Amino acid sequence: MSWKQRLVPYWLLGPGLLWLILFFVVPMYFMGELALRTGTLTTGFTFNWEWANFPDSLSGNTEQIGRSFVYAGTATLLALLIAYPLAYAIAFRAGRFKLLLLFAVIAPFFTTYLIRTIAWKTILSDSSPVVSVLQTLALVPPDGRVLATSGAVIAGLTYNFLPFMILPLYANLERLDLRLVEAAKDLYSSSRQAFLKVTLPLTMPGIVAGVLLTFIPAFGDYINAQILGGTQQAMVGNVIQSLYLTQRDYPEAAALSFLMMALILAVVTVYIRFAGTGAFMGDEEERA
Amino acid sequence: MGSTKELARRSTVAVAAAFAALALALGLSACGDDTVGGGGNNDEVTVAKGGPVKGELTISNWPGYIDPGSKGTIAEFEKETGVSVNYIEDINSNDGFFGKLQPQLEQGESGGRSIFVVADYMAEQMYDLGYLQEIDHADLPTVFKSILPSLESPAFDPERKFSVPWQGGMTGIWVDTAKAPEIKSVNDLFDPKYKGKVTMLEELRETPALVMLAEGVDPAEASAEQWLNAIDKIKAAADSGQIRKFTGNEYTEDLTAGNIVAAIGWSGDASIIENENAEWRMPTEGCTQWMENMVIPVGASNTPAAIGWMNFVYRPEVAVDITNYVEYISPVQGVKELLEKRGSELAESEIVFPTEEFTSKCTGQNTPPDLERVNEAWQDVLTG
Repeated sequence: MSWKQRLVPYWLLGPGLLWLILFFVVPMYFMGELALRTGTLTTGFTFNWEWANFPDSLSGNTEQIGRSFVYAGTATLLALLIAYPLAYAIAFRAGRFKLLLLFAVIAPFFTTYLIRTIAWKTILSDSSPVVSVLQTLALVPPDGRVLATSGAVIAGLTYNFLPFMILPLYANLERLDLRLVEAAKDLYSSSRQAFLKVTLPLTMPGIVAGVLLTFIPAFGDYINAQILGGTQQAMVGNVIQSLYLTQRDYPEAAALSFLMMALILAVVTVYIRFAGTGAFMGDEEERA
Repeated sequence: MGSTKELARRSTVAVAAAFAALALALGLSACGDDTVGGGGNNDEVTVAKGGPVKGELTISNWPGYIDPGSKGTIAEFEKETGVSVNYIEDINSNDGFFGKLQPQLEQGESGGRSIFVVADYMAEQMYDLGYLQEIDHADLPTVFKSILPSLESPAFDPERKFSVPWQGGMTGIWVDTAKAPEIKSVNDLFDPKYKGKVTMLEELRETPALVMLAEGVDPAEASAEQWLNAIDKIKAAADSGQIRKFTGNEYTEDLTAGNIVAAIGWSGDASIIENENAEWRMPTEGCTQWMENMVIPVGASNTPAAIGWMNFVYRPEVAVDITNYVEYISPVQGVKELLEKRGSELAESEIVFPTEEFTSKCTGQNTPPDLERVNEAWQDVLTG
């Protein structure tokens, strides 16, 4: 193989690599550099290896970080519980409506994220029909409300990130070889057993991808907490926004962003180890 | 199995390499120029250029601060001058707007905007950082012919070098009179009866100041401790669920939707609250009063048109239309007389033309001592 041929893979990597450097490594560098500065807006921010910014950025914000985990985790779980049956139905039971249903899943994206979330504010307002139905069903106390509660924020997160769960699951289920399920049944497994032992393991890659695509953006989200939350629902994204835009403590904001990224990276690593790298990479041979 | 492990190992190496590169880059930067920010363009204050009024003009303002309709003030200005106005209502709080634009202003750019409207203290802060242009009085004949004498020389800009008043107002209590007619004082907002049915503004100089006034503390004289005490009181109410939300302009939506019975809010917002029972009330212990100013930022692309706009809105016959629509306090002389001539009820309104007696207990927008500490405590409350 000539050296030119050997270079081909690198040329092919080029665009992706350039993209990563430009839009990931460079911003990371500037943020990391900012996180180690001290100062105020009026005096300017001076670079002097201020590692203390990292512990400082955590102090007083642990509650919001915990809350982000709980909200994003609950929303991810709910999204999975809604998305799996839906994706399954679209993949196997929709018949000629398949495309239409898929379109319905994607349709909300034609409206911006912000507008959709603000629309929920109207839908969930205290005197809305939705809330009175929930009150009649005793799911909400008679003088209770939905808006400006944790429930509203979690519902908003679930709604907004649901398509990110449905689409990878659908893509995965669609490829599922139904003959394997039939074979399981031929070997006297019940439908339930066949699902648990065949379908579910084979769709793990879809589940893992969906969970990551839902959990990570939900964790850093601040729009839902800001629009649908009240005074006790701020997530870590809201804290970072306040540090950047209102308090203008850029170094601490950058430090907190960095720590959250590290935290997410750690959680995701553990999760992938737990769920199996093969599932993440779509390495089905490993299981088959 | 082996291939998976190999893959995992390789990605670990890649991540480690990326971090090493990052650390190296950080180390290198430590040798270079090491200060960013800090009012870099402070020393060279520019004076906004006057000239023929034409082209495109971008104005940033708060929501509900002008009639945007086809017969409104903007349309009238466009028709008369041929200027095409891009009017954006993207200011929801002084600090938030500043935070959003500061990095651009620091670079001497204004994101295409030629006018902002911000409160006194924010105009001063922007000017001190070198983010604003001065305006030659010779270019503003209509403004200085019509401006109320009491507004000609404010403490933050005694010569009106960089600011021209837009509208003023008061911060007090909006009450849904059908649901909570008895609310008259800021202290009433802490009544457990209204738990979860009250909102307060996010502005440091408004909400804690009103709470202090209600407790008999003068915000203009208050110590940092007194500010922090007021903030603690608000925090306790937020933690207990008494306060539903801290808001910018959105409280108007909650009043319209009937989600709340009362809010700390701005006196002129009747035009954007669609609830006929909503009424602005002067708190029994007094209000905060403020004036918002048109300023021309550095990097403004069309200063002649910006100056033209300022002169235009100071014509009494234009100013009266603005008042008629927004119901805030006009800085222009003769508006009241023109309203009377039109037979408008607004001419009698104490909210639009407050007497000295009406505002006798009110205070301005005060900046707390030890601002950084107080503001940090306040932001902690906002991000509960």
